[in-house]
Amino acid sequence: MDPKWNEDQPIYRQLRDRVVAMILEGVLGDGDALPSVRNVAAEYRLNPLTVLKGYQELVDEGLVEKKRGRGMFVNDGARTQLLKDERQRFLEKEWPKVAATIERLDLDPAELLNNINKDTSDSGGEND
Amino acid sequence: MTSLVSAQGVSKRFGSFTAVDNVSFEIEKGRILGLIGPNGAGKTTLLKALLGLTDCEGTMSVMGLDPFRQRKQLMQNICFIADVAVLPRWIKVSQLLDYVEGVHPNFSRSAAEGFLAQTKVQKGAKVRELSKGMVTQLHLSIIMAIDAKLLVLDEPTLGLDILFRKEFYANLLSDYFDEERTILVTTHQVEEVENLLTDIMFINDGKILLDSPMEEITNTYVEVMASGDDAVKARGFGPIAEGDIFGKSVMLFEGVARENLEGLGELRTPSVADLFVAKIKEARK
Repeated sequence: MDPKWNEDQPIYRQLRDRVVAMILEGVLGDGDALPSVRNVAAEYRLNPLTVLKGYQELVDEGLVEKKRGRGMFVNDGARTQLLKDERQRFLEKEWPKVAATIERLDLDPAELLNNINKDTSDSGGEND
Repeated sequence: MTSLVSAQGVSKRFGSFTAVDNVSFEIEKGRILGLIGPNGAGKTTLLKALLGLTDCEGTMSVMGLDPFRQRKQLMQNICFIADVAVLPRWIKVSQLLDYVEGVHPNFSRSAAEGFLAQTKVQKGAKVRELSKGMVTQLHLSIIMAIDAKLLVLDEPTLGLDILFRKEFYANLLSDYFDEERTILVTTHQVEEVENLLTDIMFINDGKILLDSPMEEITNTYVEVMASGDDAVKARGFGPIAEGDIFGKSVMLFEGVARENLEGLGELRTPSVADLFVAKIKEARK
């Protein structure tokens, strides 16, 4: 697999975002090991220092813990913490825009919510 | 001795032609340095001086040794794949392993056989029966099985298809490179190696145009896409290169703080390829 890196952000930052997405999606659970620096570097043909820098960001954010000689592991509660941050971000940044759009287009909030519930029960997606 | 490689005022002349013109640089341990330059820029001559395959003016020191005078000692800790990676066509893979085992004290035959087991190269095959990609795999398997401190690769993936090229670098990173080792690679395929490098060096007409850690590229160089009055303002900061995309001007700046350009257009870090083209054009003005 070959990821497309965009040029707006440094690659280590994009790597960090990828791991965050994996934690949010539940691909990486509490206590799971992150892929080794060597494997990620080889797979994506990145300098190992770049990978290490991306992982270090996660350590600094308290999402991941480095265990000497064993690698990096997802901290307990990492997903909960991320979800909290994401919810906060959504409510502060996104929601005002969405709410304004709903008002502008004269949409019925109840009907929209109804559709969301239908979608999630159809796809069997989780809701917490 | 702190640097693995140290060059001070190194020049190499062939008659009236100066192939390498008074270059100085250092390479630290644990780095991956990309040496990028057009054909005839002096890349291979510089590598030869570094490997002791040619004499030169100035001071060249590799692991504290003089490459030209102490080549035998140096060779125990250096590996090299030349752009004309020639293995004798008549030799069998197994014979080649016998040979390297005999001449190189730091060669691990079992490691080489392990690497070869991951490829389709058969031990009984002769070199002339192998495809170009397989010969490179064979070469790399031998090189990676040598416990060396410095690996020099001169256009290692030239003429290989995309699958072999990707695999080549993936193997180097997963099975070879660590912080005790140093890799020096020259290539035309800048895009292919740019994310791999810790340092980059541009060379043209025997002179070094750029020598920088990759992370400093982001601080030193910035590209701005602007139009109209903003483009005029941006131009005031003296771009080293300018081009047009969809009616907008794309300008490349060197050593201009991002704050100055903020708000004039889209800012981004230039790709190494763009930077290379700009530096070469600048040098030819």
